Amino acid sequence: MAGSPSPLTTHVLNTAMGVPGSNMTIRLYQQDLSTNVWTLITTGTTNDDGRCPGLITKQQFKPAVYKMHFETAQYWERMGETSFYPYVEIVFTITNPDQKYHIPLLVSRFSYSTYRGS
Amino acid sequence: MMTAESSPLSTHVYNTCDGVPGAKMDLSLHRLDSKLMIWTMISIGTTNEKGCCHGLISQEAFTPGMYKLRFETGSYWESLGQTSFYPYVEVVFTVRELSQRFHLPLLMSRFSYSTYRS
Repeated sequence: MAGSPSPLTTHVLNTAMGVPGSNMTIRLYQQDLSTNVWTLITTGTTNDDGRCPGLITKQQFKPAVYKMHFETAQYWERMGETSFYPYVEIVFTITNPDQKYHIPLLVSRFSYSTYRGS
Repeated sequence: MMTAESSPLSTHVYNTCDGVPGAKMDLSLHRLDSKLMIWTMISIGTTNEKGCCHGLISQEAFTPGMYKLRFETGSYWESLGQTSFYPYVEVVFTVRELSQRFHLPLLMSRFSYSTYRS
């Protein structure tokens, strides 16, 4: 989408093979503060670099709890492997949407890690 | 009483921010009912002074399926007078072979976490 880049980004890295985690399906959800219901904001697929631009617009990005869902088992299955984790969900709180947030996922079949970057 | 040695599933929380065990963190174990596709809570626990929590499920109850360990990280940091980027952490995993033991540690700070299967 044209216009300013997403204030929220991600990057998937396959730490088992030392390559970007490309072609992984990701879904971003936003939680309604009063009802606690999750609303799907975007569905995307990581590119060759393991990134997924355009997750959310500045207008949509308000203070809330968000959830990023990574289809990890599906990713490993496509390479003929199983995964201990059927999927990974990272739930995080945004209090200041004026900042940039980078939520990477470093993943192998039996481990994963994430951190808040910018 | 289930001993550490008899429990097929265990966890260990480590506070990598302060370099100490993640003691007194509330957590819960859930199993996915694959027919109804809903999560059922199996047990709740709290990490001890060493950050460990054993006895979450018995060998007999630990059948193949999808499980979720939920760590109340937000409450943990709140009790230390701090905020956390993650209101909670949920680690979803698949159990296929029951002959093995599963140890799922959580190494976490206010802005990052990692987990692995050992």
